[in-house]
Amino acid sequence: MDVIHLLVVELSRFQFALTALYHFMFVPLTLGLTFILAAMETAYVITGKEIYKDMTQFWGKLFGINFAIGVATGLTMEFEFGTNWSMYSRFFGDIFGTPLAIEGLMAFFMESTFIGLMFFGWDRLSRGAHLAVTYIVALGSNISALWILVANACMNMPAGAHFDPETMRLTSTSFVALVFNPDAQAKAVHTSVAGFVTASMFVMGISAFYLLRKQHREFAARSFRMAALFGIISTIAVITLGDVLGRLDYEHQPTKVAAMEGLWETSKPPYEPWILFGIPNDKKQTNYLEVGVPFVLTPLLTHDFKTPILGIKELQIQAGPKIESGIQAVSALKRYSENHQQTDLDIFKTHQKDMGYGFLASQYAPDQDVTKIKSEHIPTIVKKTKSDIYPNVFVTFWAFRIMVFLAIYFFIVFAMASYVSLRREIEKHRIFLKIISWSIPLPFIASEFGWITAEVGRQPWTIFEILPTVISSSTHSSGYMIFSLIGFLLLYSIFIAAELFLMFKFARLGPQIHQEQTSSLQTIFTYQKG
Amino acid sequence: MSIFLRFIGLGLILVIALLVAVFVGDQGPWYFAWLIGTTMIVLISVAGTVLFDTQSDNHNSTGEF
Repeated sequence: MDVIHLLVVELSRFQFALTALYHFMFVPLTLGLTFILAAMETAYVITGKEIYKDMTQFWGKLFGINFAIGVATGLTMEFEFGTNWSMYSRFFGDIFGTPLAIEGLMAFFMESTFIGLMFFGWDRLSRGAHLAVTYIVALGSNISALWILVANACMNMPAGAHFDPETMRLTSTSFVALVFNPDAQAKAVHTSVAGFVTASMFVMGISAFYLLRKQHREFAARSFRMAALFGIISTIAVITLGDVLGRLDYEHQPTKVAAMEGLWETSKPPYEPWILFGIPNDKKQTNYLEVGVPFVLTPLLTHDFKTPILGIKELQIQAGPKIESGIQAVSALKRYSENHQQTDLDIFKTHQKDMGYGFLASQYAPDQDVTKIKSEHIPTIVKKTKSDIYPNVFVTFWAFRIMVFLAIYFFIVFAMASYVSLRREIEKHRIFLKIISWSIPLPFIASEFGWITAEVGRQPWTIFEILPTVISSSTHSSGYMIFSLIGFLLLYSIFIAAELFLMFKFARLGPQIHQEQTSSLQTIFTYQKG
Repeated sequence: MSIFLRFIGLGLILVIALLVAVFVGDQGPWYFAWLIGTTMIVLISVAGTVLFDTQSDNHNSTGEF
């Protein structure tokens, strides 16, 4: 029986991408809005003005809607690792399970428990204590994301892990190395501040909507000011960390960088242009209609003017010996698992660093078993495997560009918004207010494309250069996958529809009207009790 | 007495902050940058809205934002 079913692998990938992208429509707002709420409540505690309490409560209500629905979308993903990616979970579970468990036990429980106090503790806690609770919720939500990103970083840049040929699993060697993995650090901060940008645009956009309608002007102008300042610094941080991640990818994932930059040939420093527009063709390994800015790519990635960046064609050539070595590693490993001969273990250890390439080649081996590859067929297998060592360039290239172009747009919008707000001229620029209102979805789109860049760019690996995606999935039938995929699609679409309905409803009601409604609800409850 | 206890409390926070700064700053510079940066973002945002109040007091007659 074949282990690799490419259709099932593709359906598993599609299902995970779908659920992850749906889930990540909720996450950035949670990450950012909690700290904006903390800032608003800090202003309330410092100044004692009730308007800041109103702001915290109103934006907190929108946060609550987002959090409640967002949590539901995240739970299914953790189960998917077991149901759809059982080979991956078996291989990587010892590493991946730890941060996932800490995320659940420490961060998520902390966040969820204190959210109750945040919403219902206004009249039961002192101002200082309530402020501390709000900060704990903010920290909890961001630490929650941190642990997921620690796990994800280990998939991109394995650290603190060692392959054990006895158990055929990756085992943890250093928890500190796992947590302080440079990729985890940069990715956690990049994701967190991207959430700040999303929440800032969300608050600023709804505030702009009120200002355009001349509603809740005091409330909206203050919220606008806070969000604009929050957003401009966060955007600078998100761009800085994006550069750090690009540099890390350049050092550790050259295939991802080559795909992101549409680089088929190795670059010629310092002239090499940064491609603004182009249509990469994966089959012909070329770009059409290329428009670039010369002298930008080399310093952007390498931070100097003389280091060449490897193109995909050269990376394919370099992969040849790795694939051959990997086939030897996996063959020796298989023999060792059957006979436990020291010689096989020694051969495996000699070629261990290329093991992943052997796994990748196994899809082209007779019966998907590399031990059955005859020596005269190795060049053919190597040639076929070479075509798989890099990701889909068109998708990675454009996902990266959309994210980058949007980040530049955010910088301009937040800089202008901060300027006009500090000059108290927001209401004079009605077209700008309209642009901001319509910009609310853009940071969500940027976040989604950021994840597409990171995850598609890592292909064909689930764990970079160690475990290929083709042998990571479960052995379900394609019918099961299509059935569950349709189920997730329908369920998650309902979640999104519910989120949008509630968000629009409460945003349109606004803070004062909503308070009146709350008061009338309280009156009803009081009347019923009385 | 309460001033003394507050002084001791703030001193403890300072020591913990320094320990975190030394350890996290050495092991995880970007985590440390996040801690400092997020605090800074929150404080600048709060300063911006406090400035808004001051501007409101000075420009009360215009009513423009």
